[in-house]
Amino acid sequence: MENFVFSSRAKTTNLVLMGVGLVCLVISYFADGGEGHHMRFWTNFLHNSVFFLGIAALAGFALAAFTTAYAGWFVQFKRVWESFASFLLPGLFLMGVIIVGVWTHSHHLYHWNDEAAVLEDAILTHKSSFLNKWWFTFGTIGFVGLWYFLLGKMRNISIAEDDDTTDREFTYYRRYKKYAAIFLPIFGFTSAALIWQWIMSIDSHWYSTMFAWYATASLFVAMTALTIMLLIYLKSRGYYLGVNEEHFHDLGKYLFAISIFWTYLWFSQFMLIWYANVGEETIYFRERFDNYPVLFWLNLGINFVLPFFILMRNDTKRKMGTLFFASAFVFFGHWLDYFNMIKPGARLTLVEMAAHEGGHGTEEEHATMDHGGAATDHAGEAAATHEEAAPEEKYADATDLEQGTNLEPADATTGSAIESPGRRITAAEPEAGVPATTDFRGGPPTGDGTEGPREFEAIMDRNEVDVFEPNHFIQEEYIEDQEMLGHLDAAGGHDEGEAHTLGFKSGYTLPGLLEIGTFLGFLGGFLFFVMSGLSKARLEPKHDPYLEESIHHHT
Amino acid sequence: MATIKIERDGAAGAVPHHNSSTVVAGRDILFGLYDDEVKLLDAVKAANADHLDIDDVYTPFPVHGLDPLLGLEESRLHIAGFIFGTIGCLFGFGFMTWVFTRDWPIIFGGKPYWSVPAFIPITFELTVLFASVGMVTVFYIINGLGPGAAPRRLHDRITDDKFCIAFDVTDMSGEGVDQLRDYFDRTGVETVHRKMVPA
Repeated sequence: MENFVFSSRAKTTNLVLMGVGLVCLVISYFADGGEGHHMRFWTNFLHNSVFFLGIAALAGFALAAFTTAYAGWFVQFKRVWESFASFLLPGLFLMGVIIVGVWTHSHHLYHWNDEAAVLEDAILTHKSSFLNKWWFTFGTIGFVGLWYFLLGKMRNISIAEDDDTTDREFTYYRRYKKYAAIFLPIFGFTSAALIWQWIMSIDSHWYSTMFAWYATASLFVAMTALTIMLLIYLKSRGYYLGVNEEHFHDLGKYLFAISIFWTYLWFSQFMLIWYANVGEETIYFRERFDNYPVLFWLNLGINFVLPFFILMRNDTKRKMGTLFFASAFVFFGHWLDYFNMIKPGARLTLVEMAAHEGGHGTEEEHATMDHGGAATDHAGEAAATHEEAAPEEKYADATDLEQGTNLEPADATTGSAIESPGRRITAAEPEAGVPATTDFRGGPPTGDGTEGPREFEAIMDRNEVDVFEPNHFIQEEYIEDQEMLGHLDAAGGHDEGEAHTLGFKSGYTLPGLLEIGTFLGFLGGFLFFVMSGLSKARLEPKHDPYLEESIHHHT
Repeated sequence: MATIKIERDGAAGAVPHHNSSTVVAGRDILFGLYDDEVKLLDAVKAANADHLDIDDVYTPFPVHGLDPLLGLEESRLHIAGFIFGTIGCLFGFGFMTWVFTRDWPIIFGGKPYWSVPAFIPITFELTVLFASVGMVTVFYIINGLGPGAAPRRLHDRITDDKFCIAFDVTDMSGEGVDQLRDYFDRTGVETVHRKMVPA
């Protein structure tokens, strides 16, 4: 069979999935109502849009990278990736909804889009030359549009090649290769910029230089897994008879290798942050350790341990059953990975905003709470659960609570001073241009709101005392709790620390049914688009110079 | 067009002609050299079709598709690799745990003594080291290779650019050997040699 026939049964299945997704989106829009700023709906929408748009882009990347490297083994099924890549256009429309939301303030996904918050926050002000709606709008439209243009060109050339029997000089192939080579560097830089804006800026104070790699590797694995599953489906329907276990073996190797690569990046990001132990960086992991442990470790289990042990052997990559099983798990696992990147940050933004709206204290107290993000968390949680407490109480409570567990430079309690006296003293120095009092979302209040040089001296004094605390205290305490993050529960104690924990909330702590439904809906939409793309051209590019090599491919 | 050459194995000392009546402990090998791996693969297929009992095939580089034709089992070397890797992994992690919690506890940067993330890179390195060194050692032992081992080669150019099919003709009748020569001729062999090798 030369052409894929998009059977009515497959169409119906995909349309039903899309219907389920739509219903779930509508329900999730009303589920948390205006009080939650429709955050659940918006995060689900962003999550799935970015995930499937990313898969489309990474299919284009694979195509371009392999073509540029003179690879031939994948040529038989390159139409699958070309169809994947054409999902960039609907993906751009989906991101357009997010862009409209940024301009109309319909959602509060991004803290940097809140003008008032940016003005009183030194870090957000500093970042505002990149994290602003103009960049977001034109970056998204311009870069994704550019990808779509280049990959669309490649697809058109590839299809035109089919009909031309007179081409002896491989002119189509050469032009195809040229566009592939142009696409690669553009994609390399722009994809990083976009993923920072789309995902990383949800935790708008936080940043990580590993993030773009990490998020992109995640998409690459998801793309490979989806390709494997789709190819197995197509084979079961009698297409792609020439695609055999040799090709699946290579795809399985990619699934295995990029899974390991993803783990490597996951660990690199984690270990650097863990080692340096700078409060503005650790907040990302602290939040996930404290409030999302199941999600956090499940992510690593599905995406590393499972593919590592399943795909390590030679024969599991050559058997359709095990390969499909591993692909399905890993595909869902990387969707979960994006869930883990998006939801905790968005929930923190919600909590912060609730604190903003709920706190009725004096202006001074209010400002302090904004600056000490963790204090705000706590207060926000109280507000969210409708606990009526006087602002003074909340504030005092939060301060005590956070002193032990936070890694904020200005935090000079007993436990944290022990942790790294040298760093702490230097870090406590106010940076030029940045008020010493402000800033980090994760930080506790640094003082009573009248901070300045005087406050700084006080911190120094306290540090000096603490530094020379006898060592036995540290040893006993640390051997006892041996906590992974090397965190400083010493002063605060565990019980109070647990009181800070955000409770279970379906759709944030773990994906609820609505999230799964939305995921299936987007998957249906993606497959609907890919399958109609596949049915519009020959399945195998019959004049591609590497087709023969692909057919006789040996691993 | 095959040229038949009778060679003497220099390393093994004087090796008698196969027709001579002297009885020597050893194996009498008849082998043909091909100049192309495609010809080699076709020749192996032809040998399978004729039910000729190939002793071994020697190639300068791994030839795709040769193993299933010769009916070779999958190598079990990777199992050794896995076992050595596991040992290295446990050893590395266990050693660091012992050193930093029992033998010589030091606080680095305020971290706990048992700092798992800091151990992971070294654990990984030791896993790779043990797996690779272990696999090489096992491979050498199984194949009688390694430093000091005397190389046993049928022909020097097997390690260069020739592809060799070898038959053991020690207990073979004259007709059997002629049949093999016919077979070599048919399959486009370049040269055919005969050589006594130690058993």
